[in-house]
Amino acid sequence: MNTNLKISNVTKIYPGCVANDNVSLEFNSGKIYALLGENGAGKSTLVKILSGVIIPDEGKIYLNENNLKLNSPLDAKKNDIGMVFQHFNLFETLSVYENLIIDSNEQREVLREKINTIMRKYNFSIDLNIPVLNLSAGQKQKVEIIRCLIRSPKVLIMDEPTSVLTEQETSELFLSLKKFSEEGILIIYITHKLKEVMELCDEVAVMRRGKLVSVSEIKNENIESLANKMVGQNLKTIKKKKEKSSSDQLINITNLNFISEDPFETNLSNINFSVNRGECLGIAGISGNGQSELFQVLSGEIISDKNSIEFNKNYIGDLNPQERREYLMAFSPEDRLEQAAIPQMAIFENVALNNFKSSNFFNNGLINENKIKEHSKKIISDFNVNTNNIELKSQFLSGGNLQKLIIGRELITSPDLLICFNPTWGLDVGAINYIHETLIKINEQNKSIILISTDTDELLKLSDKISVIHKGKLSKIMDAEEVTSEKLGMLMGGGN
Amino acid sequence: MIKIVKRDQPSRAIFFLTPVLAIFLTLVAGGLIFYILGFKPFEALKFFFIVPIADKYGFSELLLKATPLCLIAIGLSFCFKSNNWNIGAEGQLTFGAIVSGGVALLFYEQQGFYILPIVILAGAIGGMLYASIPAILKTYFNTNEILVSLMLVYVSKLILDYLVVGPWSNPEGFNFPETRQFSDSARLPLLFEGLRIHAGIFLALAAVVISWFVFYKTYLGFQMKVSGFSLKTAKYAGYKGKKMIILVFLISGACAGLAGVGEITGPIGQLHREVSPDYGFTAIIVAFLGRLHPVGIIFASLVVAITYLGAETAQIFMQIPKYTGQVFQGMILFFLLASDYLLFFKFKFIGSKK
Repeated sequence: MNTNLKISNVTKIYPGCVANDNVSLEFNSGKIYALLGENGAGKSTLVKILSGVIIPDEGKIYLNENNLKLNSPLDAKKNDIGMVFQHFNLFETLSVYENLIIDSNEQREVLREKINTIMRKYNFSIDLNIPVLNLSAGQKQKVEIIRCLIRSPKVLIMDEPTSVLTEQETSELFLSLKKFSEEGILIIYITHKLKEVMELCDEVAVMRRGKLVSVSEIKNENIESLANKMVGQNLKTIKKKKEKSSSDQLINITNLNFISEDPFETNLSNINFSVNRGECLGIAGISGNGQSELFQVLSGEIISDKNSIEFNKNYIGDLNPQERREYLMAFSPEDRLEQAAIPQMAIFENVALNNFKSSNFFNNGLINENKIKEHSKKIISDFNVNTNNIELKSQFLSGGNLQKLIIGRELITSPDLLICFNPTWGLDVGAINYIHETLIKINEQNKSIILISTDTDELLKLSDKISVIHKGKLSKIMDAEEVTSEKLGMLMGGGN
Repeated sequence: MIKIVKRDQPSRAIFFLTPVLAIFLTLVAGGLIFYILGFKPFEALKFFFIVPIADKYGFSELLLKATPLCLIAIGLSFCFKSNNWNIGAEGQLTFGAIVSGGVALLFYEQQGFYILPIVILAGAIGGMLYASIPAILKTYFNTNEILVSLMLVYVSKLILDYLVVGPWSNPEGFNFPETRQFSDSARLPLLFEGLRIHAGIFLALAAVVISWFVFYKTYLGFQMKVSGFSLKTAKYAGYKGKKMIILVFLISGACAGLAGVGEITGPIGQLHREVSPDYGFTAIIVAFLGRLHPVGIIFASLVVAITYLGAETAQIFMQIPKYTGQVFQGMILFFLLASDYLLFFKFKFIGSKK
C-alpha cells in the first residue's frame, strides 16, 4: 500500500504578502519529510492547505493520483489526511476517551477496541478516564495522535510538535513517528529546528518567503547547509554604512533574570550586554525563544532587579515604562494593534500614550487636547503618515502608516534609546524601507537602538552588533561585520 | 437585489440613530402583541406610553423612576466602557440601601442637618464595598466578574430579607417585614407638595455631569479608557491597569449604592423587603440604549422609566399583567442589539446580475 501525495503549483496570496508562491512538492510513503523554514516562510500556510483549513488561490493537491477538493478540515479527514497542530484542539474538561470519540460516529465498542489496539501497539500509556486537563503536554499530544490514528490515515502532518515537549517526550515522539513511517504512513514534519530534521527525517524541503527553495535528501545535507538555505545568503549588499561607533556606554544589562509563572512564557537567564551611544544591537532568534519577555523586561512592563539595568548612569530596573520614558527611553512593541496602539481610539489619543512630564499632555490631571493634537500633527507630517485627519480612528490606518505613527510617536521626543521588537513585521516593502531608513538615521544622530527581530535580513542590514537569543539565553555578542547568515542560522537553531 | 456590504467605518449618525430605530421597532412589535391579545393596538400603546405621563403627578412619577435608572446606568457606563461586565448593580443597590438604612436607623430618634449626608455617604460606601468583591476577585484571582457580581445580587437580597424580618424589624410593626420609619433628618426632601419626586434627582444629575467630565476631560478617564480597551497597552503605557479595574467597579458601586439611598430615604422612608423593582438590571438596558454616553443615558432612562409606569396603567385599565413592562424592556434591548448590525454593515441596492 503505497501513498503518493502531490502538491502542484499551489499559490496563496494575502493582502501585501504572498504566503505560498507556486509551490510544487511530491511525497511518498515510507519516508519522513521535513518542511523547514523561518517564521513566515509559508510552511504553516502550506500544511493548512493540506488539511483543508485554508483554500489555496491556485494549484491542486493529488493523493494517489486523485485530485482532492479540500474545502474544510472534514474533507481532509475523509481523504485520510491527519494533522496534529502545534496548539492542541482538545476539550480540557472532558476525559481522554470522550475526546477521542467526540468526532467519530463509529460504534462505541468498535472504537474502544481500536483505541486499545493502538495504545498497545505503540506503547502509549494514558488513562482513558481522566480529564485531559490533568495530562502533560506530551500526553495531550499522544491523545491528538491517537485521534488521527483511529481513522487509519495515509498521511500524518505534524506542525512544530516538539515546541511544547521535554527532551524525553521528544525522543518518545520520534520513536513513534519512525514506527508509523515503517507501517506505511506518510509523515510530514514541520519545524524550524535543524537538529530535529537531521535526527528524524529522510528528506527535507526548505521554504523561504513563500517560495520552495530546495528539496534534498538529508544524507546530502548538514546543519550548516540547511541553515544557509533557511536564512538565505545574498544579504551583505544592503548593509548600512558602518562607522566606528563611540565607546560611550548608554545601557548596561548585568545578570538579568526573569522567571515566569506562565508555562507558555520563556524564562530569561543571566542576560548580560551593553550598548554604546550611536549603536544598534540586533537580537536575532526564532520567535518564542524569549524575545517578548526580553522586550518587556527592557521596557519595564516586567519589573526586574533595580541594579540589573543601568541606563545613562542610573539604575532603572525597578521602574515602569512611564518612569523609564522620563530617562529618555522609547519603546515600539511587536503587536501594533493590541499593544502599541488602540485601534478603536483616534490617532491623537494614541499619540497621548507616550506621555512624559515635559510633553504637557496632561496638566493637573486634565487632558490638554490642544497640545496633544498639535504634537500629533507634527508626527504625521514629520513621519509621513498618510492622513491629515488626526481624529481618525487608528484602525483605519494601514499597517505601514500605523507603524510610522508609532515609531514617530516614540521618536519625536528624541529619546537616547529606542527598543523595538519586529518593527517591520507584516509590512509592505515601501513601509519597510521607510522604517529602516528612519532607524539608520537615529544611529547617525548618535542615538542607540536595541532591535529585537525574527527577520535576519533586517538584523544584518541595521545592526552594528548582533546576538542570538535561544531558549531565554543570549549568545555572545558578535560584530555584525563578521557574522554570516550561516552562523546566525546555527545559533538560532540551538547549535554552537 | 439587495446586497449587504461591510461599512468602511462605523457611521457616527447611525450610532445615535439606532437607539431611536430600536424604540420605534419596539413600539411596532408591542402594538402587534397587543393586537394578537385582542386589544386595539393604538389605544393600548396610548395607555402604555402616553396616559401615565399626561399629568403633573405622572410626570413626577416618571422622574422618580428615571432617577435610579440614570444614576445606576451612569455608574455602569464606567464599567462597560472599560470592558468590565458588572451585572450586579442590583446587588450593589441593595447593599447600599442596607448600609445607609442601617445608619439611618441609628439616628431614628434624632434630628440634625448632619444626618442626611452621613446616610447618603453610607449608601455610596456600601455600594462600593459590595462592588469591590467582584473587582478584587477579578484582578487578583482571575474570576469572571459577570458570574460573581450576578450571584452577589441574590446574596444581598437574602441579607436584606433577614434584616427586615429579624434584627432590624420594627418592634411596633406587627411583624410586617419592614423597619422603623427613618427620622425626617435622614430623608431626602420632597421637591413639591403632593408629588413624590425628591432631591435624589440632583444626585443623578450631578453624576451625569461628573461622569462626563471625568471620562472625557481627565487623565484618569483617559487611563480608564485605555485600560478598558487593552490591559496590554495600559501596561506598555505605564498605567496601573488593575487599579483602574477596581476603580471603575467602585464608581459603579457607589452610583448603585446612591440609587439605593434614594429608594429608601425618598418617599418610603424605611427599609423593606423590595427596595428595588430590578432597577439594577434594567439600568443595563438603559446604559446601552444611551450608548454609554451621559446625555444619551438621561434620555434612555426616561424612555425606559415609562415602561414601568405604562405597565401599571395597563394593569389597571386593561387588566394586562404588569410584567408586560419587562417584555417591553426586553424588546428594546433585543431591537437595539439587532439594529447595531447597521453600525458595521449597510444595505446596498444594486441592479439585477447580468
